[in-house]
Amino acid sequence: MKNALRNPASYLMFIIPTIALYGLFFLYPMFSSVVYAFTNWNGLEETKFIGMANFETAFGDSNFRSAIINNMYFIVFSVGLQVPIIVLLALLISNVKRFKGFYKTTVFIPSILSTSVIGILWGFIYDPDIGPISAALKFFGIEPIYWLADSKWAMIALLLTNAWQWVGFFIVLILAAILAIPKDIDEAAAIDGANGTQRAWYLTIPLIKPIISVVVMLSIAGAMRVVDIVLVMTNGGPAGTTEVMASYMVNKAIKYGDYGYGMALSIIIFAFALVFTAIYQLTLGKTERIEY
Amino acid sequence: MKRNVMVILTLILAMSTMLAACGGKNNNNEASSPAASPSASPSAPASESASPSEETVEPFTVSLRHIQIGEPQKFRKAILDEVVKRSEAEVPGVKFELDGIEDAVNRFTKLPAEMAAGNPPKIFDLFGGNADALKYAKAGRLLDLTPILDELGIKDKFLNVFGQFTLDGKIYGLPIGGSVEGVFYNTEIFQANDLNAPTTWDDLVKAADALKAKGITPFAMGSQAAWVPNMLVGTLVGRFANGFPNGIVTGEVKWNSPEVVGALSLYQDWVKNGYFTKGELGKSYDDMLNDFAAGKAGMMFDGSWRSSAFKEGAVAASMTGKVGFVALPALPNAAGDQTSLNANFSNGYGFSSDLDENELKAVKSFIKNLYNDEMQLRGLLEDGVLPSMKLSDESLAKVTDPVVKQVLDVMKAAGSTFVHFDAIAQKPVYSETELQLQKLIAGKATAQEFGDAVQKVQEVENAK
Repeated sequence: MKNALRNPASYLMFIIPTIALYGLFFLYPMFSSVVYAFTNWNGLEETKFIGMANFETAFGDSNFRSAIINNMYFIVFSVGLQVPIIVLLALLISNVKRFKGFYKTTVFIPSILSTSVIGILWGFIYDPDIGPISAALKFFGIEPIYWLADSKWAMIALLLTNAWQWVGFFIVLILAAILAIPKDIDEAAAIDGANGTQRAWYLTIPLIKPIISVVVMLSIAGAMRVVDIVLVMTNGGPAGTTEVMASYMVNKAIKYGDYGYGMALSIIIFAFALVFTAIYQLTLGKTERIEY
Repeated sequence: MKRNVMVILTLILAMSTMLAACGGKNNNNEASSPAASPSASPSAPASESASPSEETVEPFTVSLRHIQIGEPQKFRKAILDEVVKRSEAEVPGVKFELDGIEDAVNRFTKLPAEMAAGNPPKIFDLFGGNADALKYAKAGRLLDLTPILDELGIKDKFLNVFGQFTLDGKIYGLPIGGSVEGVFYNTEIFQANDLNAPTTWDDLVKAADALKAKGITPFAMGSQAAWVPNMLVGTLVGRFANGFPNGIVTGEVKWNSPEVVGALSLYQDWVKNGYFTKGELGKSYDDMLNDFAAGKAGMMFDGSWRSSAFKEGAVAASMTGKVGFVALPALPNAAGDQTSLNANFSNGYGFSSDLDENELKAVKSFIKNLYNDEMQLRGLLEDGVLPSMKLSDESLAKVTDPVVKQVLDVMKAAGSTFVHFDAIAQKPVYSETELQLQKLIAGKATAQEFGDAVQKVQEVENAK
């Protein structure tokens, strides 16, 4: 046995299957999509190499540019609004004495629901004829809002639904970090006369900064690749108002059969996500290791 | 040495396990069809190349993609089920695997992806035209049906319906029936409001204004999927511009010509006047029927296939006897042919070109059982689908459904017909019309901007 482990071939035996699968399902598709991005491949006709034409079309395409802007909305909303709310709720839940488990479970439930279910559920909530929001507005004498059909409201409606879906997941992440802080630090601050808000602001938040940083990074990455909720709820409509980069790519590649262009779009999305997360990691996301 | 042998043996085992796991599962078909490639081996032993006795055929499956799902499609599904049952009884060993999915998902997402990958179902719902059947036929994905139609002797029984399925004289798809697009109106609402049937342009506009004033939506509309409002847009453009839609690919008709822009402006005026359902961009095609059936709207522009929804036991049974159907009235002072009708024989079945002998037998049986007088008549009587095959006057006289009768009358009265432009326009062009139409409805594009944007794509496609 000892000798067998000295034989390089036996190590090879263990890693070859994994490397083969990795190559087959990860490397090959990735490299082939890079190659196809420079072609006019549509699956049916002869494939021609067309250089950078797909990329030029993408950046000259006003619909794609507005999809990029919509992705930015997702980033701004999730980092600017969602993250503070997540931290606030996590702090509140960590301090409740009773029913902590109940709150934790309740906020987590949306993230285990499938996006299709959430789409249908919120589609009903937003329904201008029978939805509860309309009923409430009607009660106050306000005309119903066509949430998903009105280009003024559709994006907000989507952002809210997306936030509802993911807030719980991040709360649980942050909650775990808060609960991992040794109790005595908090107690020492309390004895020194710090009130709840001061303890949260000066103690808890600095201590959970690394995990907040991770949550922000995941939010950015999630906002860059958001697509399912868009496809389920509006399919990019009304009139392209809620189109994001990925839904635009899906439509171009799958619906219009323009696979070459779709591949180019997917590379652009990849590049955007990479650059954004890298910028964040190298600037604001830099955190020091905290030892208690 | 011994250890090395062990290592090599283990490696081989691991690799072969992986290869086996990645292998295909075509064994069934090969085993079941000893004569799968008829021309492959002329020297094969006589006992093998001779047709195997029917009892010995092993079970095989034939995938069948259809779009007859949900309540509104139940009559069509019943006909399909009957055809499948008969074909299964006729061809030994065959089992049809039905895969029902939503129309637009099949047409715009699933089938194109399968065609690109080269693995479409053996039998599938197919639309005619440049963006669908003809594109797939060019790529060699569709079975040439000409010899099968000759063999079954049914080619001459069809009406002149193969236009959108014919490439280089070969037929690649069989339309199941036809439809015309026109205005359904709620006769009860019209009577209650003392309105004339919308047979003239004045009456139509008067009715729309009167209904609007009463708080009833003039036209039910579901524009979440833009092909729905595109039906009315197509017909309006046909009223305004001569040579539409065929002229768009030859360059004769331009999307940004004054005629087409005139039609689009009229549509936008209707939107601004509140003629369509409020929040239509969030309403689906089914919502449109529901709004009409619930009496929330007085009219609805739709294809004649919708007539089956207004009969006993159907999805909008409450409307039985309360629905009228007319062609979009003639538009005064417009350049197009005012008696022409948007009529289509565009939807039917296509078949994969990749069939073995058994599957081919099943396909022939399927065609024989679906495309005959009996099923065509059933389609007309039960489902209101206009036949794609010649039916005797005696058969046609059996129609009792009042809406279907009106549809047949409308067809008879038509001076000429033109197809829906999605059969003529290239896919990117049609997609652009969908996007621009939604923008037009949302007030984010003018008629001229719509025309210019689509014409730009049209010119790129025409130059290809």
